[in-house]
Amino acid sequence: MRKFIKNKYLWLVLIVFIGTLWLINNTSSERNNITLLEKMLRDAYTPLQSGVVEFKENLGSVNAFFASKQQMQQQIDSLEAENQQLIMANQILREDKMELRRLRSLLGFQDISLDKYQMVGARVIARSPNNWYRNMVIDKGSDSGIKKGMAVISPQGLVGRVASVSRDSAHVDLIIHREIAVGAIIQENRETQGIVEGLGNNNSLRMVNIPYYSTIKAGNNIVTSGLSESYPKGLDIGRVKEVELQPDGILLSALVEPSVDFDKLEEVLVIVNYKPELLLNDEVNTDEEIGG
Amino acid sequence: MRYFILCFLPFIAIFLESTFFRAYSLFGTVPDLVLIFVVFYSFLHGDNKGAVYGFLCGLLEDLYMGRFIGVNALSKGITGFIIGRLQVRFFNENVLVGLLVVLIGTVLNSVLMLVLGWSSFSVFNIDASIISAAIFQSLYNLLLAVPIYVLYYNSFQKGLLNVTGEK
Repeated sequence: MRKFIKNKYLWLVLIVFIGTLWLINNTSSERNNITLLEKMLRDAYTPLQSGVVEFKENLGSVNAFFASKQQMQQQIDSLEAENQQLIMANQILREDKMELRRLRSLLGFQDISLDKYQMVGARVIARSPNNWYRNMVIDKGSDSGIKKGMAVISPQGLVGRVASVSRDSAHVDLIIHREIAVGAIIQENRETQGIVEGLGNNNSLRMVNIPYYSTIKAGNNIVTSGLSESYPKGLDIGRVKEVELQPDGILLSALVEPSVDFDKLEEVLVIVNYKPELLLNDEVNTDEEIGG
Repeated sequence: MRYFILCFLPFIAIFLESTFFRAYSLFGTVPDLVLIFVVFYSFLHGDNKGAVYGFLCGLLEDLYMGRFIGVNALSKGITGFIIGRLQVRFFNENVLVGLLVVLIGTVLNSVLMLVLGWSSFSVFNIDASIISAAIFQSLYNLLLAVPIYVLYYNSFQKGLLNVTGEK
């Protein structure tokens, strides 16, 4: 026993073990800032990871150079046809948008359209190096005005939220990550509210806390409700695959297929000037109090 | 030079896992190259060195991820120690032995990650997707273990990773 107590290596191992457990515990909740060492490490990786993306892009242009003329013509034809359809759809939507604006101003409603937000485009340069986390790295960081907590979107829908930032890069937690929860509503009826959670895999999310009397059904579109600190209202999350009654018998849950294909995502947009409606209301109230 | 390569291997492994292997994942899972290097180092150098190398490599991975710092350090440190204990029981010349230690190391590391994760925070709920990720990762690690073991073992015997003389 005395030999055991006098073994200094054993004490060292024990101290390191306890110290590491303390470190795990201290970094298990969301961190406001990462340390200088972590920032330096990430900034060392950023040029390498950006280099891979650039190499792939260059390889793509070399492939295009060697692609047959017939293939290219087919691609151009299909893109032109798609373009015509989109121009038509755009015309209709522009008219609807103007009408919506007029009606909103008549009713005194707040403008919730996405074009009022300032966005920064970024390239996806890396993804999680292990299977436990679902995140990715983008090539814009604090130098481009990116901050922790900002929403990240793509033309297909909501991607996730900025988790931590270094000078030239940022880590983004995806909505499929188990820790992320997003306030959501059904686009068609606007009545049913719930929370969409990640399941840790790339092709499904779960919407929970749906009241049993909800009319939710397979095929419904799920969008953000705007009742969260990070995400603006009306961003596409996914489509309902199936609905089931939870074991308590009071609430429903739904399996949701994400709108975004996270494996193929190459570029994203970070919303840099979003303020949640609750905060905006608080600011208005404070102004009124000061004014009054 | 030897120490530089030993530091460089986990650094480049994280880079490859986050870029190249994400593009070529096996059913959505990427291999754990860092673990493969830890397992081979421990198997060829013994338990104490294996534990220290595993701990430091895991810590590098944790610092890159920025959350739950220490989980990989502890799991890879313990895995390195246990694999290092196997050194005296097996002949390390055989590639099949290399495969076997990678399999043992991957299973051990996955179990340790689950135990540490489950006991310290609730993110790692043990469900089907985590179990299947661990199985596919073991398969991917085994696939990569053959060429890496041949290169690593040759380098350990008479190349840059040789302990006795710098080449």
